[in-house]
Amino acid sequence: MGCGVILDELRQLLADVTRRPELRAVPADAPLFGSGVGLDSLAGTLLLREITRRYGVDVAAEDINLDALASLATLADFVEGRSRQRGHGGPGEPS
Amino acid sequence: MTSASGQPSTTTIKCVAWDIDNTLLTGTFIESGTRQPPADAEMTTVLAELGRRGIVHAIASRNPPAAAAYAAQVTGSTFVAVECGWDRKSAAIGRILTELGIGADALAFVDDDPYERAEVCFALPDVLVLSPEDMTDALGWPEFSPAVVTEEARRRSELYLDGKRRQAAGREFGGSRDEFLRHCRTKITIALASGADVPRLHELSVRTHQFNSAGEGATEAAFLAMIGSAGREVMTVRLRDRFGDDGIVGGCVVEHGKDGRWTVRLLMMSCRAMGRGVIDALLAWLIRSAAERGASALEVPAMLNARNVPLRLALAAAGFRAAKTASVEGADPAAGRQQVLFRRSLDEPPPELPGWLTGPGRGQPAQLRPGGELDGAS
Repeated sequence: MGCGVILDELRQLLADVTRRPELRAVPADAPLFGSGVGLDSLAGTLLLREITRRYGVDVAAEDINLDALASLATLADFVEGRSRQRGHGGPGEPS
Repeated sequence: MTSASGQPSTTTIKCVAWDIDNTLLTGTFIESGTRQPPADAEMTTVLAELGRRGIVHAIASRNPPAAAAYAAQVTGSTFVAVECGWDRKSAAIGRILTELGIGADALAFVDDDPYERAEVCFALPDVLVLSPEDMTDALGWPEFSPAVVTEEARRRSELYLDGKRRQAAGREFGGSRDEFLRHCRTKITIALASGADVPRLHELSVRTHQFNSAGEGATEAAFLAMIGSAGREVMTVRLRDRFGDDGIVGGCVVEHGKDGRWTVRLLMMSCRAMGRGVIDALLAWLIRSAAERGASALEVPAMLNARNVPLRLALAAAGFRAAKTASVEGADPAAGRQQVLFRRSLDEPPPELPGWLTGPGRGQPAQLRPGGELDGAS
């Protein structure tokens, strides 16, 4: 389950960029925008930058509405799908 | 190769990163020395003049931190970011760019050592790399000559230092962003712009990139005309908290169409205000105002590029969706510029207005909607 690994990595990344360790326990389907996680443009920018660096996936360039950022689950699906298309397995990709 | 004097650019430099030895000082700083070299008189003058123009200074030096403190003392200038160490200079410059939240093309690097200049030139081709000799001339270059110097610009060093204290407090603070903003006694004020605000609005329109929907600046004359025209509202956004008063950090221009459509012709915010709830508050206020005043639609035409992803994140967070997309004719395809019309449904519930926001219709004499009090809070 490559997606599960990427999901865990993204959850850790989210906790890091928001500096909120409690987000390591956030449900995969919790909305990232709005109340709850409350991802703002600063944390969002850091998150997208780190995703490009780690997985070679530029979410902003491919997703005008940033729908991938609906939740950690949608983000993991997006990253998993795009990095596989490119044969660009991230560090969490099973070999 | 190391000087861009022959290639005038339209980008204004926001920060100059200085070497210390034989650049800011007339010799080499000696860690254990009792007699240190004096400041370079010419560079001291340049530092002060650039400071008056709203350009801030930083240090990138192969020295212990004591050298930066000494350089600040003898030149009488403030250095908003200090990178002292034995790392590559390009790595030090990279950290300064991140700390200040500015792009590489907004920074100039000054070093007497041609090797260091070449290294930064190679690693960071967008940085303007200069020798100390270039700097006296440079005062006359367009890169170092902002057209207007506003109150915010003159206080820029101070604002960056306020920002550092705020960041340090934020690192120690345990709670969420909103709890921290409340803890800082953040106050965001949205108001109709007046003629006195025009120089700052113009400055923001040319200096903002990460949060700028138009992708290009607007002249002072254009702002004056918009302020005076019926069917348009030009708003300013001010920000302050217990760490300092940032003045005007953002603004927007709203056009009211005959069909009831609200079109946000310009939406902009200083990247210095990033992470402080400003853009979210402004968008929430726009959505609420449009809904309350019976607008038929709320739209933000935006010129998308690689740099304004933060603006898109803010639009997405506030519930805006792309309604129309078009490639920009003549634009460099590699630059990926795209004109997109973002629309926010006014039928869906608007975002909450944060308690720290004051604006027309909210805790402020209602300039837009006589008698309009939103909910009496704040």
